[in-house]
Amino acid sequence: MTRQASRTLSTILVTFALATPSGVVSADTPRPVKLTVEPSQVTLRNADESTQLLATLELADGSLRDVTGKASFSISDPSVATIEGGLVIPTGDGTARVEVTLKAFDRAGDLKASTSVAVSHFQIDRPLNFTNDIVPVLTKFGCNAGGCHGKASGQNGFKLSLLGFDPVGDHDSLVKEGRGRRVFLAAPERSLLLTKPTGQTPHGGGRKFDTQSPAYKLLMRWLVQGAPFGKKDDPTVAQIQVSPSSPTMGRSERQQLRVIARYTDDSIKDVTREAEFKSQQPDILVVNGAGLVSTLEATGEGTVMVRYMGQVDVARVTVPFGQAPPESAYAHFQPKGFVDELVLKKWHKLGIAPSPVCSDEEFLRRASIDAIGTLPTPDEVRKFVAEPSPDKREHLVDQLLEHNEYASYWAIQWGDLLRNKRRYGDGYKRGTFAFAAWIRDAFVQNVPYDQFVRGILTAQGDVSDSPPVVWYREVRNVTHQVNDTSQLFLGMRIQCANCHHHPYEKWSQDDYWGFAAHFARLGQKQGAVANENAIFVRKDGGMNQPRTGRSMKPKPLGAPETEFVRGEDPRQSLVDWMTNPENPYFARAIVNRMWAHFLGLGLVEAVDDMRVTNPPTNPELLNALAKDFIAHKFDLKHLIRTIMNSRTYQLSSAPSPFNAKDRQNYARYFPRRLAAEVLSDAVDAATGSSERFGGFPAGTRAIDLPDEAINSYFLDVFGRSQRETACECERSKAPNLAQLLHLMNSPETQNKISNGRVERMIKEKLPDEEIARELFLWAFSRQPKADELDAVLGHVRSATNKKAAFEDVLWSLLSSKEFLFNH
Amino acid sequence: MIEITSGRYRCCDGMTRRSALKAGVLAFGGFGLADWMRLNAQAESAGRSLADMSVILIWQGGGPSHLDMWDLKPNAPSEFRGTFNPIPSNLPGLDVGEHMPRIARVCDKLTVLRSVTHPDSGHESATHFLLTGYPPTNDIPSNEVPSYGSIVGKELGAKQPGLPAYVAVPRAPRSSAAAYLGVEHNPFEALGDPGNEGFQVRNLAPPANVSIERLEHRRSLLGRIDTIRRDADASGTIRGMDTFAQKVFEMVTSPRVREAFDLSKEEPRMRDRYGRNTWGQSTLLARRLVEAGVRFVTVDMGGWDTHGNNFETLKNSHLPKFDLAFSALIDDLDQRGRLDNTLVLVWGEFGRTPRINPGAGRDHWPNVFSVVMAGGGIKRGVVLGSSDGHAEYPKDRPISPQDVLSTMYRQIGVDQEKSYVNEANRPVQILNLGRPIPEIV
Repeated sequence: MTRQASRTLSTILVTFALATPSGVVSADTPRPVKLTVEPSQVTLRNADESTQLLATLELADGSLRDVTGKASFSISDPSVATIEGGLVIPTGDGTARVEVTLKAFDRAGDLKASTSVAVSHFQIDRPLNFTNDIVPVLTKFGCNAGGCHGKASGQNGFKLSLLGFDPVGDHDSLVKEGRGRRVFLAAPERSLLLTKPTGQTPHGGGRKFDTQSPAYKLLMRWLVQGAPFGKKDDPTVAQIQVSPSSPTMGRSERQQLRVIARYTDDSIKDVTREAEFKSQQPDILVVNGAGLVSTLEATGEGTVMVRYMGQVDVARVTVPFGQAPPESAYAHFQPKGFVDELVLKKWHKLGIAPSPVCSDEEFLRRASIDAIGTLPTPDEVRKFVAEPSPDKREHLVDQLLEHNEYASYWAIQWGDLLRNKRRYGDGYKRGTFAFAAWIRDAFVQNVPYDQFVRGILTAQGDVSDSPPVVWYREVRNVTHQVNDTSQLFLGMRIQCANCHHHPYEKWSQDDYWGFAAHFARLGQKQGAVANENAIFVRKDGGMNQPRTGRSMKPKPLGAPETEFVRGEDPRQSLVDWMTNPENPYFARAIVNRMWAHFLGLGLVEAVDDMRVTNPPTNPELLNALAKDFIAHKFDLKHLIRTIMNSRTYQLSSAPSPFNAKDRQNYARYFPRRLAAEVLSDAVDAATGSSERFGGFPAGTRAIDLPDEAINSYFLDVFGRSQRETACECERSKAPNLAQLLHLMNSPETQNKISNGRVERMIKEKLPDEEIARELFLWAFSRQPKADELDAVLGHVRSATNKKAAFEDVLWSLLSSKEFLFNH
Repeated sequence: MIEITSGRYRCCDGMTRRSALKAGVLAFGGFGLADWMRLNAQAESAGRSLADMSVILIWQGGGPSHLDMWDLKPNAPSEFRGTFNPIPSNLPGLDVGEHMPRIARVCDKLTVLRSVTHPDSGHESATHFLLTGYPPTNDIPSNEVPSYGSIVGKELGAKQPGLPAYVAVPRAPRSSAAAYLGVEHNPFEALGDPGNEGFQVRNLAPPANVSIERLEHRRSLLGRIDTIRRDADASGTIRGMDTFAQKVFEMVTSPRVREAFDLSKEEPRMRDRYGRNTWGQSTLLARRLVEAGVRFVTVDMGGWDTHGNNFETLKNSHLPKFDLAFSALIDDLDQRGRLDNTLVLVWGEFGRTPRINPGAGRDHWPNVFSVVMAGGGIKRGVVLGSSDGHAEYPKDRPISPQDVLSTMYRQIGVDQEKSYVNEANRPVQILNLGRPIPEIV
């Protein structure tokens, strides 16, 4: 049975919550149809296992509600098991029935469901396994957390691996270190392992459990057994799965989660009691240690991260926005392709509806800024508005992608990400200039993205014949190479796994250093060009995992390891793996990055932090974009067309009552401030002047600049990237006071305003109205409205100095949000 | 919304919808008018006025070495104690590192907390914690909650119209921003390098040919043209820009603002006294700013992440500069009679490992470290708490960062139990944990 998102569900749920807080059904809700309980059979194979039951109510409209917390559970034979909050805990061997009863009202009467319980081996003291039985206890109670014994330096001399990712080391630490005090086999109850967490010995971390708790009893049994590590071939956890995985809930509701672990021998076990739960949006929902999710008053989406034994999974919870919009709210939105269809599906699920489609002027301005970082000219505005063709927006997108500015604009953004930085002064600009030109040329040629990345990652030789070797100048050592490659091209930040298992991902230290092995044979030496290193590949060489000292073979993330082949560059096999159409990360990372550029927000945010525990807001859309991108041979212009030609991209930025509360589902265009270089050029365009950048010929625009070292207060204050990291976030679009001081009150702006277009038009003695219209077209890409024109002409007529008056007009345009923002 | 400023209630004029939505609510059992009046009465009887209170935060980003500055362990084994000798200060019982000789002569005006502790040894997350009072819930934090500079700026406003409430000199460290309070409560960054001879903050005066009168005309014209829908931008950036534009007019038309940022107005001897370098002149600028009416100034004194070559770096660079700047600030404020109205807080995100690493460096160590407070009615000449023999853990009186911040909020009259509503409509307290440290207030 799938959980479907009924658009009426939200209303019902709110009604439930308000009208009958303790009840299940109220008069105006669909009829309850059926109560189900899962799993249909509970098998507990020893005294330590337990199983979480989920009781689910199906309503007549097909929607589902968790009633685990509201149903009552009774068991036919309490000597077999007891049930607490739906958790089945064994008490002895045998079989029994569990009756689940939901007290309902009026129409339905009581609803019932049942399941069976079989308990075996209850009395047998099975040999405990440190990894599978003890480490989860240490994790659940936070002993090995980063703030406690799990941090690199340990706590008060007792050190565990972070979250228990190194069971061998942890076993040594408990059993072999601490002079036999941590584990005292002669009198287990005097072991620090038991006396500290129960508070019998002073414990900085406080009292964690008492001597009657299951945790205490389990640890005690393990000590009595002699604190064994367990057999080497005992199965380990291969995967965990949380259910339900994407429930729709109302506000102030509850949902019990259930977690199943699958082991390397394919056996499965309920680990709800042992798993850790963490809400990633504590504003939308909270979750307790037993896996019970409670939504709060806010609507939207939230995720619960579940972690057990180094494996992670998430449950995505949707809390729809109030009343579902009427069908008419969607009437103007005619999907034009898979992007629109998938976005629309999501709107329906959440109960939001799109704003109207934007005007032609808005579209021209928006598309020009987003695609080529350049404002349209008044001629372009007039021509585009007058153009009768119904396909004119598609035509415009095609034209924009052939502009010179297209390559410049994308080159400067990739120059940031590829950290093309003149760190050590002018002696190094030959390298940055060459790399900048190489990047720009790739966009001129529309080099397929996979080839572009291969050109960078596998660069070797001298700057003079292979400019992308400059990438390795900032990305100098192997950890930089691993971190930048994964963050930039795979959308993943795996640097945590450099020193320990990634706490929010499945990546281990072995994964990190296996990935690093691809760069093991890279060498740098002084090249033929002064100050520039040449990159070469050694014939042999390897990579050791620093913690274990084990030598690592090249191993891409989540893929089988490969062999070092003498004379071969392992970077090639890495790029082969990355650019393979089956690669799960590569295409998704770039389509998400591009989507974020055009829509103002990534399907995964931050764009380079894609991980299981940070799921996309619209996974179907992300996958479809990636699939389409691969099918079109990594063609970036095709991807841009797909996005820009969607209706979704072309929506107005003005919120409607049906989407005002939403901030992440693209039901309207999200306005954003122009990027530093784009704004600098826009000021020049609007004022009819030209900024001179030191050492560059007149007419060089800010988006043409090859590196970050060109002196410009304007670009600094408006947040250009300093190219210190591969993070998209380094380019800041946050506003601040210094920006407005500069824009509104600097001699630089005033000079541009008074010595450019205004001066020329006054000299040409153009009529006042024409001057006003031109200024509006340059700054806002539209004609002035009647009241705006009145205001402007009124101001000019009342002034003694006409030129100064038009300077004031231009100043007001530049200081307006309509100019500063792409909207 | 009711704001408490200048010692009386006033209704907030010019309230936007956003500020109404985000308006604080006083929690039950929170800090009410009566509490505020009591606290103000206490302050006034001690010669201070809450309305006149400012804060200077000296942020030693990277994590300063407590063992080499405030908490030396001359009897610890050599792998811990380091190469610096303790010297006596003018506060009986307090020895400090030998490279802070001038500070040693103002210690009678300081409170040194030697047992501050928290569990976070990551730069970004601990910086978030210590600049906001909240540990981050996400692994890559950037202001999930507002910085306390933003909170103080919003709660108390600037002391003089035209001046920004919250300034960072020369730049704002990470996690100094306003989060859901709105970008208008981000710090104003002076930018540039106050240590440069010709330093000035740009664009504070109108350009040539633009008179104040002309500026007023421009402003009224702007009001008729700048009409894009403000609610198009859910992130609040557009509204923030409006507030900044308003601020631009206030600043530019006020000679007081230019004066406040103008270091050349200081006597050369005074500039020498603070040290002719970025840290020294930034600290001097901070003093000018709070005197002129800025409420909260962050001095970004970053660079203490001494994993390698700890002792040479401290001895030759950081400590001589800090010694000059901080001792000058304390003396100067005191001589001007402003120390009791200016709370100075000196800390970084953590201390450094007592055990010296093979590169003669010290690594991250949050388990115990020292924090210095002065002024703002904090008791003078107190050393509170102590660390164990190797300066690894608190020996007694463990103090949380929230206790430090709770003390700060109390001294300047900000109610830590007041809540602001975050992006998801959930009320979040200004500070949810920590109590004022009774021994020092």
